[in-house]
Amino acid sequence: MSREAYQVPNTGSPSYGGGASGGGVTMVNRDPFAAEPSTVMIYTCGDCAVKVPLEKNAPIRCQKCGARVLYKERTKRMVQFEAR
Amino acid sequence: MVVLDDGFEALLEPFYNGKKLTDPISTKEDKFQLLPAFLKVKGLVKQHIDSYNFFINQDIKDIVKANRFIKSDQEEKFWLEFTDIRVGSPSRNDFSDFKARNEVTPMECRLRDMTYAANVVVDITYSRDRKKIIRKDVPLCRIPVMLKSAKCYLNGANNAEMETMNECPLDPGGYFIINGTEKVILIQEQLSKNRVIVEADEKTGGVSASVTSSTHERKSKTYVVLKKDRITLVHNVLVEPIPIVIVLKALGGLSDKEIMDMVTGGDARYQDDFLINFDEATKAGVYTQQQALEYVGSRVKMGGPRNRQFNMAPRRSQAEEGLDALANIVIAHVTINALDFYPKFIYIAMMVRRVLMACHNPKLVDDRDFVGNKRLELAGQLLSLLFEDLFKKFVSDLKGNMEHFFKKPNRTSAYDPVGPITGQGSFISQGLNRAIQSGNWSVKRFNMNRAGVTHVLSRLSYIAALGMMTRISSQFEKTRKVSGPRALQPSQWGMLCPSDTPEGEACGLVKNLALMTHITTNIEEGPIKKWIFGVDPEVEPIQNFTGIEMHRPGAYVIHLNGTPVALTKHPKKFAAKFRATRRRGWISPFVSINLNTHFCAVHIATDEGRICRPYVIVKDGKSKLKPEHLKLLQLGKANFDDFLTHGIVEYLDVNEEQDALVALYEADITQSTTHMEIEPFTILGAVAGLIPFPHHNQSPRNTYQCAMGKQAVGAIAYNQFNRIDTLLYTLVYPQRPMVITKTIQLVHYDKLPAGQNATVAVMSFSGYDIEDALVLNKASIDRGYGRCQVFRKYATELQKYPNGRRDKMGGIEKDEDGKVIAKHSVLDYDGIAMPGEQVRSGETMVKKMTPLDQTSTGIGTDRGPDDFRDASVNYRIPDPAYIDKVMISHTEKDHALIKVQTRQTRRPELGDKFSSRHGQKGVVGIIVDQEDMPFSDSGLVPDIIMNPHGFPSRMTVGKLFEFLTGKASIVAGRPDYGFGDAFRSHPVEAMGKVLVEHGYSWEGKDYFTSGITGEALEAYIFNGPAYYQRLKHMVQDKMHSRSRGPRAILTRQPTEGRSRDGGLRLGEMERDCLIAYGASQLLLERLMISSDATEIDICQQCGLFGYKGYCQTCKSTHQVTQMTMPYAAKLLVQELISMNVGVRLQLEDEFPHPR
Repeated sequence: MSREAYQVPNTGSPSYGGGASGGGVTMVNRDPFAAEPSTVMIYTCGDCAVKVPLEKNAPIRCQKCGARVLYKERTKRMVQFEAR
Repeated sequence: MVVLDDGFEALLEPFYNGKKLTDPISTKEDKFQLLPAFLKVKGLVKQHIDSYNFFINQDIKDIVKANRFIKSDQEEKFWLEFTDIRVGSPSRNDFSDFKARNEVTPMECRLRDMTYAANVVVDITYSRDRKKIIRKDVPLCRIPVMLKSAKCYLNGANNAEMETMNECPLDPGGYFIINGTEKVILIQEQLSKNRVIVEADEKTGGVSASVTSSTHERKSKTYVVLKKDRITLVHNVLVEPIPIVIVLKALGGLSDKEIMDMVTGGDARYQDDFLINFDEATKAGVYTQQQALEYVGSRVKMGGPRNRQFNMAPRRSQAEEGLDALANIVIAHVTINALDFYPKFIYIAMMVRRVLMACHNPKLVDDRDFVGNKRLELAGQLLSLLFEDLFKKFVSDLKGNMEHFFKKPNRTSAYDPVGPITGQGSFISQGLNRAIQSGNWSVKRFNMNRAGVTHVLSRLSYIAALGMMTRISSQFEKTRKVSGPRALQPSQWGMLCPSDTPEGEACGLVKNLALMTHITTNIEEGPIKKWIFGVDPEVEPIQNFTGIEMHRPGAYVIHLNGTPVALTKHPKKFAAKFRATRRRGWISPFVSINLNTHFCAVHIATDEGRICRPYVIVKDGKSKLKPEHLKLLQLGKANFDDFLTHGIVEYLDVNEEQDALVALYEADITQSTTHMEIEPFTILGAVAGLIPFPHHNQSPRNTYQCAMGKQAVGAIAYNQFNRIDTLLYTLVYPQRPMVITKTIQLVHYDKLPAGQNATVAVMSFSGYDIEDALVLNKASIDRGYGRCQVFRKYATELQKYPNGRRDKMGGIEKDEDGKVIAKHSVLDYDGIAMPGEQVRSGETMVKKMTPLDQTSTGIGTDRGPDDFRDASVNYRIPDPAYIDKVMISHTEKDHALIKVQTRQTRRPELGDKFSSRHGQKGVVGIIVDQEDMPFSDSGLVPDIIMNPHGFPSRMTVGKLFEFLTGKASIVAGRPDYGFGDAFRSHPVEAMGKVLVEHGYSWEGKDYFTSGITGEALEAYIFNGPAYYQRLKHMVQDKMHSRSRGPRAILTRQPTEGRSRDGGLRLGEMERDCLIAYGASQLLLERLMISSDATEIDICQQCGLFGYKGYCQTCKSTHQVTQMTMPYAAKLLVQELISMNVGVRLQLEDEFPHPR
């Protein structure tokens, strides 16, 4: 599946934890041809389910509750399943 | 009733099984309700937890108490005492203020590869400047915490609390989490300690009594051996066997008559046999105690462990040496107080007497395989052995540290032991962790060196995990040919499951606990000793008697843990009174008492590791269990322990069981009955308890099912999708079995099932069903039958190196168009795959880079290259999968940890393995469209067609009953019909009646029409629902082929195994076949062309290898020719040459030129 096949339309993007809507580059509308993207990635806290923006090499830790188990968010690309 | 959501409430509810509160209660029908009540307090995995709790609360304190003083050799005024030790709650090792909570949940440990451990603190008192300093809560070490033990957060948590901790409420607990892996300490079986065992040697006709003495100090074995009519004492510390009379003389200096009396009593037969031993003493010139001690002393091994320890002490005389050996080393568990050797004299004389008795009556030898002579070692005991060893080492290390400090000529400050305690204590934590992690238990003091004590908890299915917790591994060698230890012992009844044992080499050596088994923990001897004398005034201490009085007819010696302590004339009365005290709850219910009429002995046991189980007490032909008791139980106003203290039920261990007459049912009770079974099906274990109607099956079939039940794919826990296991199989739509047993409800298999109810028709179909193959309905598969998911974990750590370099993420490669290459297409900006994406073989999931330079110091010019090497995690399985979950975290060492979980959904395909619950496994032979399947007059189409040839030779009648019972319970809509408990009545008549009532044939056979021809089938077809398990063996994981592929570097032969894309070996025996057949060209192809053929230059002159047509030895090209040979042969020649073995190849023409 090619990368640019389908893009999820992004309207009303959720404001991430800490109100840092500008700081967190959302993964939607990402363009693989663009130059090096911002290094901030968004993860989800395993304890309190809050969105955690993390910079590269930052300690892995939820800013809200201090939990150290974070999960990666689901892909925004289209995923097609073969229903069998 | 208080709502305690521990899963047992359904069984204790008043409306259980359609019964209401007002319905009459019969003790006959409802006494099984004691079983859930029992399982609430004991049983299944509770023995692990009890044992661990005993260690944490009691044993650990005793160990520290025994080793509490440290004194300095140099600074006489300094002393240090450990006054207490406490184990805390599990906590984080990497605690920081950032997160207020320091508690750590087991789930976090699993996810973050941490150890679920608690801090251990000690209270110390020590001297400083002639003052006493008390310091509390000094951290000592960290100790792994058993899940659901007293210190664990899961202990006593209700379902809601379990859920917040991401735990499964049905998880059995009883295991440890070490570095993120779940480790079980298996139950170890061994011969009992401190008990005399008499054995006969078949070959020499000798008899020997042996006892393994085990104290906190040492472990040693003493033998009393009869050989050629003479009796000797053999011990490791003595260089040669010592005539027994000399030993007896040394112990107390009694006269020959007293010795004779003590050994033989008044019995002339034994006197005749024993008399000759006095001559041995006379021959050695030993008449007095002094001479005897000197004789023994001169034969004590020098340079033993004891001598090395006291090399500073002055040399002792030989008599002292002998005295010390006899007092402290021989039969060490009988302690000597104030040099009173009489108890030890009695003990050894008793051993001699046993030998003489066994000599006269060969039936009096002991049976090693008797379960009463066995003890089970659990996690707590094993940990306490290890902890004791580590603590002793810690104390000596601490002392070394102390002496080092005091050695300094001018100290700047007073000695503060707190720092060194915490520092040295870390070795205890490391030792414990390493032992549990690796399973290597080594305690030097006891010469113990065991491997494979711990195992990774199998999470294949819920029942596999449960089965692992009840497993007992035996210390016997697997290679020995004797059948004794492997055979089913009658004394295993009710204690160990008769069905659940593996096939093959470990058969009978690995056992499983039955459902109601409990394993005792240690009970203090002191109070019991007081009770022995207190309970019956006629009982007197054994020291007050001579040998003649002891062996007088009717006199019984009372042994406490194998050691004689008292004498009684009325053993039965004494035993009855003793039991009465136990039934009143004045002494521990796990103290056992039994009579031995052969040896005129009463044995009282309080030691740990005995196997026991509860029974209902019967007195005067009447069961003590009354309907009102069961009513109280149902109302939740009484629990099992209340019944115990009120003398309604009691625990019997294997030895005491021998004195009991147990009625199976209430109807069997007679005047002489002493006990009644709570429920007969409890003789089976948790795994065998899944089988419906096991009493109608041939016994090996039940054993096969016990092995297969652990391979069934199903739900493993409520938190299965929160865990990230290395390999996890789950069934998509697991179902509770139609036909269940009470065991299934008790172990909650109905809540975490592993299988589905399939409608099965027993008939022949298509020819693709021979050899147990199954015919599957394609429509059923489309609807989700047998569909399972496979999760795999891929984990990697980002390491930090000592030179400051660290692993890094990223480096996604792009092609010349600037597009990300296909291999990296699923990666996100952070270099980790995105959940939800499909990964195909060869694609990267974690793009990790490792620095090339890991060793340079970075000081001065010592600086390595700045480049990085690719160390990414790739997906290697041929079939694609989806990224299910990606977790990032930190380990305890503060390395970043990345775990990627992939998911595959699989539908059943040709060759996948299925099995019913009766040891009837089979693979899918053909998948048939529904329209081609036969159908009944009501339109019913089977999910599975099974070949009837599976029945006659296997004799699994239980399976037929499962069909019948399941069918009746379906057509009637009555789940309560579907019970297939072991040893209950068989259902044919009742279920047949139900079937007839609902318009079916009573025998379960129906009219079927062929789906292919549309004609009626010639016979009525037996059909019904059967619970089928999908087993983990799937074609997709095994399918493999190779035409060309990788080769091993050394031999250049194809690699081996599917994981390395290897070839299939044509081995030695296959080669023999081809030679015998004469298929030479096939041989040549298999062994040369498709394997490791190489072109070699050989010099015909010298017979050595050349190179490029030139011989280095002969310096010529003249005689060099080329030939083809296996690379392995060429390698062999070169290796031989390298070892100075000359090898020359002589060539000749296969087809010589005609001259």
